[in-house]
Amino acid sequence: MPGTTTPADGRATPADGFAASAATAAPADATAAAADLTAAAAAAAAAWRHESAHVLATLVRITRDVDLADDLAQEAMLAALQQWPVEGIPANPAAWLVSVAKRRAVDQFRRSATHRRLVERLGETQPGVEHPDPTDQVDRVEDDVLRLVYLACHPVLPADARAALTLRLVCGLTTTEIARAYLVKDATIGQRITRAKRLLVEQGVPFELPDRAERAERLTDVMRVIYLIFNEGYTATSGDAWMRPDLCLEALRLARMLAAMEPTTAEVHGLVALLEIQASRTAARVGPDGEPVLLEDQDRARWDGLLIERGQAALGRAEALGQLAGPYVVQAAIAATHARARRAEDTDWTRIARLYNLLARTAPSPIVEVNRAVAHGRAYGPEAGLAVLVPLERDPVLAASHLLPSVRGDLLARAGRPVEAAAAFLDAAALTRNESERRLLRRRAAELG
Amino acid sequence: MRFMVFIKFTEDVGDPPPELVDAMSKAIGGAFADGSMVLTGGLYPLSESTEIRVEQDGLTVVDGPYAEAKEVAGGFAIIDVRDPDEALESARQVAQLHRDHWPAWRGAIEVRRIAGHDDPG
Repeated sequence: MPGTTTPADGRATPADGFAASAATAAPADATAAAADLTAAAAAAAAAWRHESAHVLATLVRITRDVDLADDLAQEAMLAALQQWPVEGIPANPAAWLVSVAKRRAVDQFRRSATHRRLVERLGETQPGVEHPDPTDQVDRVEDDVLRLVYLACHPVLPADARAALTLRLVCGLTTTEIARAYLVKDATIGQRITRAKRLLVEQGVPFELPDRAERAERLTDVMRVIYLIFNEGYTATSGDAWMRPDLCLEALRLARMLAAMEPTTAEVHGLVALLEIQASRTAARVGPDGEPVLLEDQDRARWDGLLIERGQAALGRAEALGQLAGPYVVQAAIAATHARARRAEDTDWTRIARLYNLLARTAPSPIVEVNRAVAHGRAYGPEAGLAVLVPLERDPVLAASHLLPSVRGDLLARAGRPVEAAAAFLDAAALTRNESERRLLRRRAAELG
Repeated sequence: MRFMVFIKFTEDVGDPPPELVDAMSKAIGGAFADGSMVLTGGLYPLSESTEIRVEQDGLTVVDGPYAEAKEVAGGFAIIDVRDPDEALESARQVAQLHRDHWPAWRGAIEVRRIAGHDDPG
């Protein structure tokens, strides 16, 4: 029997059912059956996530229907959960899932072909319309994933739907997993995905890759979706948990995948570099009680050296392309400058201030200005930083955010103006929606008083 | 989370067939592209290895090969994946490639979690 051991020499025989030999044995009782189901479910889920982007991309191409492709994929998963505990986990779980899903896709088409012939006989279709046989196209995979990414991030979709659809179709996450990551109800994500699929159909979004004229803009949209997914994980916008690293990891994987598929655009490598370096601080930026730890106070020994190295390599690839530095490349360069400093006091703030000046020109925004003020404050003294903040006082975007008062508080504290600083921190505490950030700001105000 | 994966086999197995080399390099290329592969490499035979042993009398330096070694690590990979199931699935795929492209090959793939940066707490 495959997947069991021969006692002759005590060594394992090559297992056909490598994943879990227990699943090939006949269940002795209900507990064993449940264990088999769990093993089968775990193997199916792992195999699925390994291949899901390719499988779904292939299914979307042959069906040209995101909803149908998603249904076929779900059916294949269900079939696996029914068959694997009984028949054993197949030698190649992913290939098994792919072939079941493809077979069902082909069945669907046969059925719809029958249906089409029926309609034709009734004389209701236009003559001369070509219907290429979709079953011929089952094994062409190149560019499929990229097309799927562009589809999921299409500008006709609302921003939250783009993220949900990308996580579902490209990362292979379930509705429940996405809902957990975003701290919302399953039904909310389910509706978002359903609505997104419907919108793609209603708006007649073409499945083809965008043409060259449209490509750059669409790529920017894709990068923005990935960046937002990362940020959702990096700093939760609401709730008690300050970080949800799972979304960071998914975004990082998406970015790397995109860089492999769109390697000639510097900004994509810049995005990878930025996310790798930001993610390298994951362990260091949360204290023992879940409170945020500011960059300068982080234990740099806890930064993930591997991710920093990857980030710097990606930044190198971006710079080697010799394109005008866009916002992701500049932000990555800033992050890399922080990463190079062994101690906070070694930070090359002058370089960072110059990079923020560059960023303010290429991608001006009030948020960039606030960060530029921080950098100028460190590079040229707190009063220089406060000067950068002055034009922002009446900015409508910043009015509702804690960012401006918290940075002003920090600069005022450094400038030796503790009373004004404490007031600014309390203003900031009143504005933030994040509980642990509020505690940090109140503590800083109290320390000055 | 990160895992160290060892490929272990007896050293007298000979050279891998080109089909396996092709299939492995394709799989490894894909894993590097999606970021799940951190580092991979083959290891020179035990005859070129050295052990520094700490014993009662102090340190001794012993050159390989070692009499007791049967299956030894001949290659390794460091992978960065979402969870243990995914690590196992990666290892299983490597095992399956060996089985498909090198039917005479016998060996094992060991999957060890690397302690460190993502440990809870």
